[in-house]
Amino acid sequence: MKLRSCLFLAVISIALLDAGRVETSRRPRYGGTLRVEIGAVLHSLDPAGAPADPDEAAAKNEIDSLLYDQRNPDGTFAGVAGSGAFHIAEWESGKHVTLAANENIRGGRPFVDSIDIQMGRPAKDRLLDLEGGKADFAEIPPEEARRAAERGVRVSTSQPEDLVAIVFAAGHAIAEDAHAREALARSIERAAIVNFILQKEGEPAGGLLPQWSNGTAFLFSTAADAAGAKELWSQIGGSPKIVLGYDSGDLLGQTIAERIAVNARDAGIGLTAETIASAAPSPANVDARLVYLRMTSSHPRDALAGFQAVLAPMAGLDPSPLPAAAASEQIYERERAIVSSYRVVPLVWLPRLYGLGPRVRDWKVPAAGEGWPFADVWLEQESQ
Amino acid sequence: MTFRSKLFWVFTIALLLSVGVIAAGVTIVARQAFDDLNRQHSEALVAQFEGEFQRRGQDVVQRVQGIADAEGTVRMAIDLSRPKADVSVYVNDARGVSQSHQLDFLDFVATDGAIISSNEWPARFGYKMDWLTQPQDWSSLGSFLMKVDTQDGPALGLMAVSTVRVGDRDLFIVGGQRLGKDFLNSLVLPDGMRALLYLDLDPDFQPTNLVDSSGPVVDSERLASFIARERQDPRKQAFEISWTPDPLSSEAFHALPLQGRRKELLGVLLIGSSQQEVVKLEHRIRDLALGVVAMGLFFGLLLSWWGTARVTRPVRKLAEGAREVSEGNWGARVDVHGRHEIGQLATAFNRMTTQLTQQREQLVQAERVAAWRELARRLAHELKNPLFPLQTTVENLQRAREQSPEQFDEVFRESTGILLSEIENLKKIVGRFSDFAKMPQPELGPVDVNNVVRGIVKLFEAQFGAVGRPPITPELHLEENLPVIQADATLLHRAIENLVLNAMDAMPAGGVLMLRTTHQDGDVELEISDTGSGLTPEECERLFTPYYTTKQHGTGLGLAIVQSVVSDHGGRISVESETGVGTSFHIRLPARPPLRPAPAHTPDATSPVATTPTASENPEATAGEGA
Repeated sequence: MKLRSCLFLAVISIALLDAGRVETSRRPRYGGTLRVEIGAVLHSLDPAGAPADPDEAAAKNEIDSLLYDQRNPDGTFAGVAGSGAFHIAEWESGKHVTLAANENIRGGRPFVDSIDIQMGRPAKDRLLDLEGGKADFAEIPPEEARRAAERGVRVSTSQPEDLVAIVFAAGHAIAEDAHAREALARSIERAAIVNFILQKEGEPAGGLLPQWSNGTAFLFSTAADAAGAKELWSQIGGSPKIVLGYDSGDLLGQTIAERIAVNARDAGIGLTAETIASAAPSPANVDARLVYLRMTSSHPRDALAGFQAVLAPMAGLDPSPLPAAAASEQIYERERAIVSSYRVVPLVWLPRLYGLGPRVRDWKVPAAGEGWPFADVWLEQESQ
Repeated sequence: MTFRSKLFWVFTIALLLSVGVIAAGVTIVARQAFDDLNRQHSEALVAQFEGEFQRRGQDVVQRVQGIADAEGTVRMAIDLSRPKADVSVYVNDARGVSQSHQLDFLDFVATDGAIISSNEWPARFGYKMDWLTQPQDWSSLGSFLMKVDTQDGPALGLMAVSTVRVGDRDLFIVGGQRLGKDFLNSLVLPDGMRALLYLDLDPDFQPTNLVDSSGPVVDSERLASFIARERQDPRKQAFEISWTPDPLSSEAFHALPLQGRRKELLGVLLIGSSQQEVVKLEHRIRDLALGVVAMGLFFGLLLSWWGTARVTRPVRKLAEGAREVSEGNWGARVDVHGRHEIGQLATAFNRMTTQLTQQREQLVQAERVAAWRELARRLAHELKNPLFPLQTTVENLQRAREQSPEQFDEVFRESTGILLSEIENLKKIVGRFSDFAKMPQPELGPVDVNNVVRGIVKLFEAQFGAVGRPPITPELHLEENLPVIQADATLLHRAIENLVLNAMDAMPAGGVLMLRTTHQDGDVELEISDTGSGLTPEECERLFTPYYTTKQHGTGLGLAIVQSVVSDHGGRISVESETGVGTSFHIRLPARPPLRPAPAHTPDATSPVATTPTASENPEATAGEGA
């Protein structure tokens, strides 16, 4: 009896001790440096400086969200750099930036002491560093998400919030032909792009806003109709050809454009995919361009307004903004009007995917338009 | 053209023909040899390519089979055999696998023919390769050529197919290597040769589809017709083209059709062999041949010149000897030695001239003896007539002195008269012989032959119609514009007079005496014809021999004098006669006699024989001077 009591007590003690250790490991811990790797290359954090390309702009926006504590109504940051959770501790243009935690920030000091952001890291290297424990956080391309997960990388996926679309250039002869635009739109197998190219990370897009945003995405067809496309294309006189441009260095864009070319060829549509300089105006010979549109807000009206602001000058769309209190129906009507013009051909919605190192804790996927919530992240101490 | 020139040209032409035939033969044989060598070279290269092609094909088959046998592929096949298998997982696998197996083309294809993953066209996943689903034993097929669709357009590939079967489902592995400039680059070609590949991927000839190891071929349109021919009739063929007018740019090609599984033409391999070295070598041989020809011609001409000179020298000497003989130098000799025909001919020539000289001397000696005999006979005959009366008269004087002294004075007076008369006859006879011996040299002056003829006819007018003899009718045919010649009028008058006298003597029964003058080439011709009894050929031959006569009282000097006068004037005299018809003398006198001493026709004291007459003598006509 005594022996049994002793054994029982011992088991209970060990269990309690283990439970206490687990409880200790789940408790936020201050300290440590969060190692972040990004693909973009930043040459300046000056608010007045214009980013060279969308990737640089997005990365700068993320870093600014850590440096500033206020935003203007238009979404830009207000105040002084360093007024946010972090301030710049070290800056090496184009290579890396180190952000140090502000001790007296309102709402409490960030858990991590600093964030070291390495710039210009290719996706493959970012994944390798995540796997090797040399990085704690990195964005990963959707097409690599499944492979990364298979290799043991923690993958955090956002709601689909980036739209990949074809935008016809206003004023081009073929772009002004509604039959040509519709033929191309109907020839594209969006599901194949999602399933094969994006490895099922994303959703086929028939409209501009994802289903979770306005709830009307299902009303837009995403099915391919090669026969219909062929018939439409046959109604065009002559032997026109569409030149589809995609940004240089955009491997995902290149793959999607090549698939679109295959679909177009299958429908008898003459289309060639050509690379063009990022962020540069489309060359005169480019009739359509593959673009990435990031939702700047979770609110459908604001998100659509953001899309409209970008697309209107490119595609010659109606730039008039939606009313501030536009109802869902109005947003849908505007969205339908844009999509029905086929000047913008939605392809897929992409989620944002993040690779997380094993010691990163309390990471929450940011909502559309929000920055990385590194102030709430803490790092588990690595076991000795 | 001289014999030497003819011989030289014969040698030269023979030499040219020989050298030309040899040079042409050498060139043709060399050309054929080069063509054969080049053909063998190209055929060897084509065979090498075919071997390389087969080796590459086997290599492709092994690589594709290696992929099929790989664990990852087998796992993929097993995974895809499950219901609702997710093929999207493998969409990027072809790229990595193709790189690791060094294949340009690689497709993983599901059992329904749908592409799971494609290296050459990654975006083509989901589309079907229907030809794969047709029944075919791929393992026994080996490698084959195929038109492969890529995102950059169609390409030509050396392909192989392997399958991995799990349950009732197949996973096709279609892999291959691109046939293009990289493939051509990998071929080991000798210097001066290159391989071109035409990819028959379009309905019409496309210049950009013709590539060599460095890319598209420049000026590829030049090969369009040959490729078109290959497309119409795919078979091995050979042809040659020149890229520029320069022969050095010519290139020989062997075309090899590249056909697919169904014998459809997919490409044409062109093995090009630069003819530059061959043409250079041919040019070198040609230049060498020309040099040899030139040298051969040069030395041949020299040898021909020397040989012809050597061959013709004795002939020339013979010709000179013959000319000397013709000019009267019968003692001419030819200095040619040797046992050859020319030497024998020269020896015969020398022997002939020696014999001629000897015979001429014998003949001259004989003629001289005959002449002396004739002269002696004539002298004896001439002198016998006056001597007999002299002897008779002297005997009458002796007899009158002894028998009739009383009549001696009368006899003496008559006898001295006869003696003086006969002595006078002897003096005349001696005078005529003396005159012939002392024929004067002609003193030239302008002479109108017509006037001379007219004067003579007028002189003999009385005798033509003399009483007691049959009349002779003179006929004059004198040309009006007869040129005046340089001649001795007295000697000419004497000669013509002798001929007229001879003609009159030849017509004792009367007849016609015709005198005709003409001129030709500046010479004056005179013909004197009679209608007498004519002469025999033998008489004609001796007609101009001095002291030869057929008359009873002729001295035989008349026609000898005529011939001497004509000869001294540089003219010629000939006679034509026909027995019973008459005789014609033809004299041709030059306008101006040549400046040379008259030949020694005048018999001297030791040689009473004149030079050989130019025509037959007229024995009946010698009475002119001697009558």
